[in-house]
Order: sequence, then structure tokens, then C-alpha cells
Amino acid sequence: MRGPSGTPSQPVIPALGGVPGFRDLLPAEAEVLREAQESLLAEMRRWGYRHVITPMVESIDVLELGLGADQRRRLFKFADARGEVVALVGERTVPVARVVAGKLRAASLPLRLCYAGPVLSTDEGRFQQRRETYQVGAELVGAPGLVADAEVIALAARCLEATGLRRYQVDVGHAEFFQGIMDAVKLPDEVKAGVRSALAARDFVALEELLERTTLRSAEHELLLRFPALRGGAEILQAAGGLVRNRRSEQALSALAGVLDLLRAHGLGDVVSLDLGAIRDFDYYTGIIFEGYGPDLGRPVAQGGRYDGLLARFGRPAPATGFVVQLDLVWEMLNRSARPPALPRIDAAIAWSAPGLETALRLGSTLRLFGMRAVVDTEPRGHAEARAWWRGVGAANLVHCRTAATASWTAPGRRTRRLPPEQVAARLAGTLA
Amino acid sequence: MSKPRVPARRVAIALPTGVLLPGALRILGRSGVARLGAIELGRKLLVERPAVRVVLVRPADVPAYVDHGAADLGIVGKDVLWESPGAHYELADLRFGGCRLVLAVPATSKVAGRETWPPLFRVATKYPRTTAAWFEAHGQSVEVVALHGSVELAPQVGLVDGIVDLTASGRTLRENNLRVAAVLGTSTARLIANQASLKTRTDAVQSMVARLRAATDQPAARVRAAS
Repeated sequence: MRGPSGTPSQPVIPALGGVPGFRDLLPAEAEVLREAQESLLAEMRRWGYRHVITPMVESIDVLELGLGADQRRRLFKFADARGEVVALVGERTVPVARVVAGKLRAASLPLRLCYAGPVLSTDEGRFQQRRETYQVGAELVGAPGLVADAEVIALAARCLEATGLRRYQVDVGHAEFFQGIMDAVKLPDEVKAGVRSALAARDFVALEELLERTTLRSAEHELLLRFPALRGGAEILQAAGGLVRNRRSEQALSALAGVLDLLRAHGLGDVVSLDLGAIRDFDYYTGIIFEGYGPDLGRPVAQGGRYDGLLARFGRPAPATGFVVQLDLVWEMLNRSARPPALPRIDAAIAWSAPGLETALRLGSTLRLFGMRAVVDTEPRGHAEARAWWRGVGAANLVHCRTAATASWTAPGRRTRRLPPEQVAARLAGTLA
Repeated sequence: MSKPRVPARRVAIALPTGVLLPGALRILGRSGVARLGAIELGRKLLVERPAVRVVLVRPADVPAYVDHGAADLGIVGKDVLWESPGAHYELADLRFGGCRLVLAVPATSKVAGRETWPPLFRVATKYPRTTAAWFEAHGQSVEVVALHGSVELAPQVGLVDGIVDLTASGRTLRENNLRVAAVLGTSTARLIANQASLKTRTDAVQSMVARLRAATDQPAARVRAAS
């Protein structure tokens, strides 16, 4: 390229870091993330959930049916060549609902579906500057009732275990418990609106001020003030049961008791707690809700619940429940744990001198057949250069194929030995067993 | 009761450097959570006690420590929370460190009531988010100049029509020939908590919250800012 004056101009190299909020995952992270994703999907398949892949792009009309104003605002939107306004997905429950009501209309319910993929948000996250995150989710559509609620919670718990997380807990709540309180609490409408927005902002100081100003008193009043402390085991149901006097909340409490029993039968009594003060998007969730927490991470790694209203908006009314696991957070927790996942190592670096090339290629194929990771050099090298190349590759073993019939093998912490290539293959494969 | 499998570590609380620190230490001491001197803490920034880990950070950083879970609890002025709303729970008004966020204009300014405001109000502040939101709510066009310090200077050199800043006694304003034209809000120290800490370390965190609350001055003794 030549500049206007005829002198050669430097080629312009764009910023190599990428767009702010979007990042490259290097092997150390990408491989662990992918493996965690596979473990999650494998666990979901074991429970009979079938994999679906929905597109990165959805019509804004579809997404609007399921998302709140705030979620809609955070979507990357653009007009396609036909002038349709489309968006990049920010979650996949709504696209899955579209598929269930559309392409899978003829499929009989209940349907068990799972999915994985990146989701985008125009906002950089509150915690990290990330606009692209990775989610793995499962939805159970068409099954009402507590057995289905418990199945999805148990699946979420087993999914967290499947990724290698050893310590976690699941908090279970019920959207109707709060709705019942809001029905019953004696407050003017404008104060109720204030209560909802204070709770949504988790601002209990504002909540207290609102409630202090009203002279009306009810048992529900007291419950609202104690909202963040309403968690524990089965005993919390008794305590709350003594305070609520409305059918909606009472039914929520008995549903929670039922789900707790079922989760014990699932073998999860130890990891489940009840959280009556769970604050979530109450316009969306209609029943049991839950969140999964790992150690020392300030936010939930999995969340989900029952959303019986969504499918009707797509013309196929059906109850539904599901959850999503934040894969980025799984990686973060695995990475912080006492024994972070070891990067899978390359097992063998195979170097060669000119007469040994074919042997090297054959040896590579053989080792890969045994499931080992083997890299074959792209150019001939003497023994000293081969050792330098080996260190660069970071492989456990070095095999240098000198001729068609001889190879020198350097195993970790061992002296180099000269052996026929078949014997090197056999011994390396033996180390796997 | 079920026993969560997430292990217990010491509860960590983040305290702000600056004007709120003495009050925060007083509450910690009175509640029996930890007796600490400002000097000891200032030297170390991180103090471990049997029941609690105390970290000292800049006021504006307290929400970050709490939101990320590096601290379970934090003590921070409401003014900081206005600027950085986050995922934390705001649990209690600790009723000290009272001050007001005010719109101040030069003493000689013609600006008084709403009807005297200029078509475009130029305002310097360390609180750009809160300022923009407040003027927006009042239907007033505003040009916010975000500054990091000595905001009082800006109107005197003609940079802006007024400032939005925090004041406890009003002295700094008077010294700079500024007068209060409107009050945007009243701030006191707040106790905030990480959302996950309330779930994974419920008993330890809730009992510390209860002790800190109990050590708080009663409403009658609330520090009221004199302007």
C-alpha cells in the first residue's frame, strides 16, 4: 500500500484486544470451560433432556413476549436487510419457548430440552466487564406440579456436581409467597408500588421507611421487614406459617414443604435450604424458584424456577420450569478451588530426523488411537533442537524418530532410551492403564 | 435444619476510609464485633479478629468489595450507593455520618426557585449519575461536568452555573461564597450485604447484622446535618 506522497505506509493494525466487553478465551480457560459445558449437557442427557440449538439472532417481536423492559433494553438490536428489527439473544428460555410452540407444536408434552451457548448484553456486567457470557440451561415444558419442580432443582444440583463442584447449596423459594403477602398487606397502592421497587433494589432501608410511615399493621408487614432473614430449613415453614393469613402464601408454603420432601428423596436433603425472601423477577416467575450457590462467590451460579405464563404468550399454553447455569462462574469457582482443574497435557511430542518422518507420522496415529494427545513436528531436527522444541510444546514425553527402526524416548524424570518405535508406543500406551 | 455444604469462613466487613471511619469503628466496638483503633487499621488495611475480618478501603470502593463477595458486609455512605447501585442488599441505616447532597450556586447568582433556572443548567459534581437523574426527574436540561475534587472552585471560575456536592455543616460552601439552592437527598451511613453471603453464611452474617443494628443510635439521636 502506498500513501499519498508515494512513500510506503505502515499497514494499520487494528486493536488486537477485541471489542470492550468481549474477550478471547485462551486454552487454559477455553478447554476447562468446554469440558464443564460437556459435563453439564451430559448430566442433562442422563435425565432425558434432548439438546436443541437455537439461533444467535431472534426477532424482537419474539423476545419481547418474554422479556422485561430492562432485559429488552440490554439487547443488541439491529435491522436486517429486510428491515426487520432483530436482536442477539440475551438468554435462551424465550427462544426455547418459541420452538416448543412452533416447530415442536406436534410433539407431545412434557418436553425435556437443554441448550448451551453464548448470550450477549449491551451492558457491561456489574461484576466483570463482560458483554458475552456462556450459559447452559434446561427446560421442562408441559409438566405442572411439585414432582416436576423437584426434578428440575435436583437436575440443577447434579449438574453443579457434574462440573466438579464439591461444595454448593441450593436455595428454594416460591414466587407466590411474596405475591400473597402483597395482596394481603394493608397498604395504599402507591406505597405498595414503592415496596415492590424497594425490594427489587434490595433496599431494606427504604422499605423500612415506607412501612414506618403507614399506621396500618399486619402480620405481613412484619414478614416484609424480615425478608432477607427468611431462610433456613423446614422449621422456617412453621415460623412463616404462623405469620401469614392469606391463601396464596399458605399454598406456597405447603408447596415448598412438598418440594423439600421430594428433594430429600432425590438424595439432596443436605444441600437444600428454603429461602422465603428470595427476590427475583416476580412478573415472570409463577411458582417454585431456586438459586445455586458455590463457595466464596458473591452471586448465584445457577438460577431458575417455574414460569407457567410464558408459553401461552406463544399460543401454546403450558406450564414450564427450568434453569440456567452460568458457565463463566462455574469456571471461576473451579479455578479458585483448592485443586483447580489441571490443563490436559499433551502426552507426546514426536520429533524426527529425515529418515524417521514416516515412523513419526505412524507413531502419532497409534498414540491418538489410544486416546493420547500427540504432536508431530513439522520439520526435521537434530536431538538437541528436538529437546528445545519439546520444551516449547510442553508435552510430557519426547519421542525422537531417528530412522525407520529406532526412536529415542525421554519420559518425565527418566533417562533417554533407544527403542524400536512399536515398543515406545506399547510402553506409552501402558502408562495410560 | 439442613446444613449447607458451603463452608464457614470468618465474616468479612469492609469499612470506608475518611469521615465515616470513626463512626464505623464506634459501632463495631459498641456491638462487640471488634475493638479497633483507626491508627491500627490505617496502618494495616486488613485486620483479622477471631470473629471478623476487617478491611479498610476507599468509600467509593466499598460496594465493589461487597458486590464481588470479597467482603460479606460493608459500611458506606448512602451518597456512594446513589452513584453505584449494585447487587448488594441495603440492610440498615446506621444513623451516623449525616449529610446532605445539595445543589449550590454562587451567593450572587440569580438562581433561586425552579422558575429561575437557566434553560441549560451547567453543573459540576462528583456525583454525575445522581445529578443527571435528579435534573431529569425535574424536567430540566443539564450539562454535567464530572470532577474528582475541589468542586467548589468550578462556579467561581465560570466553568459551571452551580455544583452538586455533599455538605455536613455547610462551612465549605460558605467559605467559597456558595449557597444552597436545593437539596437532592440526605445521606447517612448504611450497612450493606453481599447477596450470596446472606444465603451461604446466613447465621454468622445475620447475627453480626443484628449486633450492628442493636449498636446503632436510636432515631432520636440521629445526626442531623445543620446547613
